[in-house]
Amino acid sequence: MGLDRLAWRILAARPLRTLLTTLGVALGVGVLSSSLAMSAGIEAAVDRTVRDVVGSADLRVAAFLEGGLSEATVEAIRMTDGIEVAAPSIERRTFLGAPVTSAGAEAREAVTVVGIEPVAWSRLHELELVAGARLARIDEPSALITESLAEADGYILGSELRIQGHDQPTTLRVIGIIAGPGPVAGAAGRAVIVPVDVARSAFGLEGVTRVDIGLADGVSARDVAERLAERLTLEPYVLSSPADLAEGLRASTADFQATTALVAAIVLFVGSFLIVNTLSMTVGERAREVGLLRAAGATRAQVVRFVLAGALVIGIAGSAFGLVLGLLLGSLMAGSVRALTGFPAEVSSLNAGSLAVAFLVGVAITIAGAVEPAIQAARISPVEALRARLDLPATRRARLGWLALVFVAVAILALLAWPPAAGATGADRALGVYAVLLAATLATPFVLPPLARILGSPLAAFVRLEERLARGSLARDRSRTALTLGALVVGLAMIVALGWTAQAARNAATAWLADVVPGDEVVTSIRPIGPGEAIRGQLAAIEGVRSVTPIATFDLAIRGLRFDAAAIVGADFLADGRLTFIDGERAAALRALDVGGAAILPLPAAERLGLGVGDTISLALGAGTTLDLRVVGVVERSIPGDGGEAILVGWRDASGPIGVPGADVFAVRFEDGAGPAAREALETAARDAALEANPLSRVQGAVTDALGRVFGLFDALALVAVLVAALGIVNTLAMGVVERVHEIGVLRAIGMTRRQASRMVVVEATILGLVGAVLGAVVGLGVGAVLLFLSGGLVASAGLPWASIAIAAVLGLAGPAIAAWYPSRLASRVSIVRALKFE
Amino acid sequence: MPPILEAHDLTKRFELGESSVEALKGVSLAVQPGEFVALMGPSGSGKSTLLQLLGGLDQPTTGAVVFEGEDISHLSDDDATRLRRERTGFVFQAFNLIPLLNVRENIALPFTIAGQDTSRGELRDRIREVITLVELEGKERHRPDQLSAGEQQRVAVARALVTRPSVLLADEPTGNLDYTTGGELLDALWKSCDSAGQTVVLVTHDARAAAYADRVFVIRDGRIRDEIDLGRRPDHSAAPLIARLAQVGL
Repeated sequence: MGLDRLAWRILAARPLRTLLTTLGVALGVGVLSSSLAMSAGIEAAVDRTVRDVVGSADLRVAAFLEGGLSEATVEAIRMTDGIEVAAPSIERRTFLGAPVTSAGAEAREAVTVVGIEPVAWSRLHELELVAGARLARIDEPSALITESLAEADGYILGSELRIQGHDQPTTLRVIGIIAGPGPVAGAAGRAVIVPVDVARSAFGLEGVTRVDIGLADGVSARDVAERLAERLTLEPYVLSSPADLAEGLRASTADFQATTALVAAIVLFVGSFLIVNTLSMTVGERAREVGLLRAAGATRAQVVRFVLAGALVIGIAGSAFGLVLGLLLGSLMAGSVRALTGFPAEVSSLNAGSLAVAFLVGVAITIAGAVEPAIQAARISPVEALRARLDLPATRRARLGWLALVFVAVAILALLAWPPAAGATGADRALGVYAVLLAATLATPFVLPPLARILGSPLAAFVRLEERLARGSLARDRSRTALTLGALVVGLAMIVALGWTAQAARNAATAWLADVVPGDEVVTSIRPIGPGEAIRGQLAAIEGVRSVTPIATFDLAIRGLRFDAAAIVGADFLADGRLTFIDGERAAALRALDVGGAAILPLPAAERLGLGVGDTISLALGAGTTLDLRVVGVVERSIPGDGGEAILVGWRDASGPIGVPGADVFAVRFEDGAGPAAREALETAARDAALEANPLSRVQGAVTDALGRVFGLFDALALVAVLVAALGIVNTLAMGVVERVHEIGVLRAIGMTRRQASRMVVVEATILGLVGAVLGAVVGLGVGAVLLFLSGGLVASAGLPWASIAIAAVLGLAGPAIAAWYPSRLASRVSIVRALKFE
Repeated sequence: MPPILEAHDLTKRFELGESSVEALKGVSLAVQPGEFVALMGPSGSGKSTLLQLLGGLDQPTTGAVVFEGEDISHLSDDDATRLRRERTGFVFQAFNLIPLLNVRENIALPFTIAGQDTSRGELRDRIREVITLVELEGKERHRPDQLSAGEQQRVAVARALVTRPSVLLADEPTGNLDYTTGGELLDALWKSCDSAGQTVVLVTHDARAAAYADRVFVIRDGRIRDEIDLGRRPDHSAAPLIARLAQVGL
């Protein structure tokens, strides 16, 4: 019989241990492969979205200002050397159906209207029609709609379609149905494509939203970009390539991918504890056999191979099973990405690359985990092995040292498999967290005895002997206990850390909105509502409404950089007591906004621009004109924009030189004591005007719900780590029983009952759980502090995550207690006669 | 006086997969209170199995074990545990001390298992008494790995005696000891029997150890082949036993 076959037999001799370890590897690989599959899914979705957005265009010039790109700019683009196709288009969100102001009209879901120049546009974008014909002219009163919209709203070819624009609805005829959800990103399948002049007329626009560019053969995008920079001087614009768009889309999921990859790496790390422990146990248990092999002439290399062969079997089986688990987990993750970002990530197909990477990483980590036990096995002296068990202090030192090496190996593998979109910052954060966890694990053997003594002492009052023996058992092989406990601590720590991060994020989001929104209710519109429209007055006239303040969000260009901005009524914010000023005099600053020529900066923007109160910002407004605004205040938090906090300007500047057409949000404050009737009346009025009214608490709830969904997924992944740790506990406790079977036999022989023998193991698990819960909470707070510190969210008001600590405590106690079930049965069933024969 | 321990036609069969081994094939014997009895025989003769049945560690396939007038052959696990804890004491060849516990804790173990407080009162005195009996004063705080083999076995004897069991059962207690240390241990067992009236059942394959007994049962192939009545003899000379064993071909 070859040594490899002997290795297989040894694994088969301890089926439970082998199974649990294999399962541990499978869970690690499952999380990794799902993380990779999700990343691949996101990549595919990015490509798909970019294709939908720009088609085969090589460049895109997008309008920066509300007025869009003027005809002169479009013409300048067309006339630029190297550009073969320039396809201008307009994109607006609106409603279909009856005019929004008519009483009793039923508000439907919004649609995205895209106005195109049919000929130019079709050269860059593919449109698959399932019925009807394409648009032919830029002014025909026709529309193409998506199949999804047709099915949802009951349109067919020839139907009349009414688009709500800036004035009277525009009536069009449906002449074509586009396959499926259509090619418009972010429209959720509700897209209407119309001729560009029709869109221009419907929405009262002069400019266009963007121009997609197709380059002539052999022309480089960089050269054209330089030429455009020289020619397009009339108004600010954003030039992007498909790669830029893809990068932006990837960035929106970067944090998610980074955290997922981090948790995956941690689960693998915990899995590696299990592997090192299991194989060390096997080697220790088989020291005699190994010694015999050595005595019979086996070389050290053969012994190493013998141990690695066992690991290989576990690695291959575990990794293969892990791939199956990964598919299930991947679907769960993709669902979370969709829920969070609306991004169409799918994990619907097998990705050979992801599967191969996850499989190889699983096998590699299993082998890495087996190297230390293999070296220990090779070092066994035949004489020593035949005399006693392998339990040398040196082994412990080597094992802890090896753990550090396994950490490095896992870290390197994790970095190799790190999702590119997660970025370097995410990797830094992961390494920081990882280092804290490793330090905690390495410190575990030293804090275990005193902690076990302290935490076990209450148990001693009830089960003194069991507590004493259990504690002694935990101290018997401190490195093994440390690895087992380390895995539990890491899992629980992640739950506490993620819980704390989630809590801080929720608190921050809730406090942010409460600090900056001057209302109890937020009424949003998908189209700008101009100052001349009666809606604001109608809302303000509702009984119980104290104030209605209009807010518009838009972009500003300062020193060539894009900033979020918001137009507000300073007096309303002053009266309502919103905004926390860090610099500047509150009342004067808010009044200055209404007068005009002033701006209030959020702290991040002030720091980015290096500006303070009294400085001036110069806004590029197009056609070479600028608008200077004096900084009158710096606030701690501001209105949230698309990518950050908004620079606040007054409506006089916004609707004047900046050209903001109207408000997209109204913040409504009720009178004190206004009952639910006021809220109901407001919501009815909003609905009638095709607006959406939501209580601020619901907006806050939606934000915290979204955060909850994301962190819920991370918690689920951290739970996998706890599960892997629990498998390790089963292994360790069962091994403890097997090692002590003689001792248990003796105890039984001199009068210990089966219940006491069983209780001894349960007490051991309980002490392990207590120590794990305490260390998990402490380490979790450490990891959480690192995460919060790196994200700038570590503030005194964050508060401690008591709920997460409680969950970790419950899991810390329940996990080991459940894990102890089998080993405790094993202990209670020890046959005295056989145990006494067992030396 | 009725026997303290009786075996009636005991058999014990061990199932080993598809085959089975009959370790005992109808053994009967009786032990009187205060008697020192040796079960002697070669390896695999069934003597240790017999001791396990007599001490309630295992149950016979057929037959009965009567301990102080009570049939203990088919006790429940809890009752058998209580019997072992309160009425028997065991000494094994491999000492079988708990390495985590010190000498005193190992000796007090039967009381600790029963949830009794050994730090005061009679139990404390009893523990001190047996420590004196086995001459381990001053080593109460030592752990097993800090003791010699002889000392470890004396701790095991003290642990077996501390509950003042009705019967002390010893399975090859000198098997891991050198000649001199083994002799000292047998002296201690004999002393407890002779001066305190402790009933002792000793399993051994060593004629010198068996010679401490009042009576020797010779077991072979699962059956009692001979019963040798040596009587109580302070000199423990092995010569009469060896001569008799030679007669029966052992």
